[in-house]
Amino acid sequence: MRQSMTAVLERDTTFDTRFATEPYEVAWAGEARWFVQHVGGDGTATYITQVSPDGITWCDLDDVEHAVEPGKLVSWPVTGFGHWLRLRAKVEGSVQVRIHLAVKA
Amino acid sequence: MTTSDLRTALLSADPRLSKFSPLPRILAFDEFDSGTHGWTELLGNYNGRGDLSTVDDHMRDFRPPQLSACNFFDIGTHGALSGTYALKLATRPYKGHTAVAIRRLTMSGRGLVQLETYFAFKSEATLGGGSELDTFGDVQWDGNTHPSEAQFGAFTVATDLCGDGGLRYHTVARYQNTDLDNRFTRQWMAPTVPEPTPREHFEGKVKLEYAADFTAPNPEDWQAFGEPQELCYNEVPTKVNWHYLRWLVDTEKRRNVELQVNDRVMNMRDVPVPPYEERYETLENLLNFYFSVRTHSAVRNFLFLDSVLISVDW
Repeated sequence: MRQSMTAVLERDTTFDTRFATEPYEVAWAGEARWFVQHVGGDGTATYITQVSPDGITWCDLDDVEHAVEPGKLVSWPVTGFGHWLRLRAKVEGSVQVRIHLAVKA
Repeated sequence: MTTSDLRTALLSADPRLSKFSPLPRILAFDEFDSGTHGWTELLGNYNGRGDLSTVDDHMRDFRPPQLSACNFFDIGTHGALSGTYALKLATRPYKGHTAVAIRRLTMSGRGLVQLETYFAFKSEATLGGGSELDTFGDVQWDGNTHPSEAQFGAFTVATDLCGDGGLRYHTVARYQNTDLDNRFTRQWMAPTVPEPTPREHFEGKVKLEYAADFTAPNPEDWQAFGEPQELCYNEVPTKVNWHYLRWLVDTEKRRNVELQVNDRVMNMRDVPVPPYEERYETLENLLNFYFSVRTHSAVRNFLFLDSVLISVDW
């Protein structure tokens, strides 16, 4: 049986400027998937997966931006990550976001 | 050989259990190399439409627990006491923010309940900045003591218990490392009032702000018990030393009994356990445990749990 875990990193939080999610430690996991849902607001945000060696210093995992429109749920897989994951986001307007990180060993 | 002798021998011969002193019946044995074992984020209550904006501000952001290999910037993976992973609670870097992990059981009897764990507490390392960061609170870096120790606020172990016709109460033990001014207190404390509830907010009695102390928001509603206790922070934010904690409560008498932390055993029999005045529905036989960590600085605070064992005498 594989280990799995879902963490809700933002729960209907409203942002009107750039933000990053809190660091999440996933050393035990072999794969991950982001679910980003805009549950409110009329703005748009773009997200980039970031990795870190220590939970303090961050770099982009790749150069793929994921845009999320009002009311939409967008998901993408993450592989080859180190032991920490987070999202950084650029926001235009105001967005209310719910972010799930689903990880499996 | 008596049954008791045989049980003692079996426990002593098992390296996973021999570091604990369980009561006769083990309800839960949680080693975090094998998952989270039901220790999950706490969230306040919400309405019938799943509208999370109806969750109390002070109970909507307790952060999900993490399975942590105790990875740090300076040494890489530290690992846990047993195996690689510990359960980690991590606050946001926001003064007053609290992270909580809760475990939800029910009681099939009444009597002694014991929670044991091996834990460590840390502040997040700070990288860069100027020499002003060598001082914080009571600490000036001297090659031994480290300012990050003064950036750690408090951790708490507590229950949420209900039964006997809806009588609800909490037993609580908090280690306050620093006060809200970041001065060392190193004191065990317990609240003298019940925890504010979503119902009280719903009825217009209480409205707490984000990052309020959800266990008891007014610092004056906490009283010390036992003598101040210095724990092992071990100088820098990336050394993890595991402490033993054993906490005994009595659900028959609805009282605290005692708290052992390393070599210190504190009598908690006289520490008050204030019940809610009103009776609760849908909580019959509730047996919840939670750990929380609260930062008193704008630095993330961590509580690591290597393993947890819950045992009872019923």
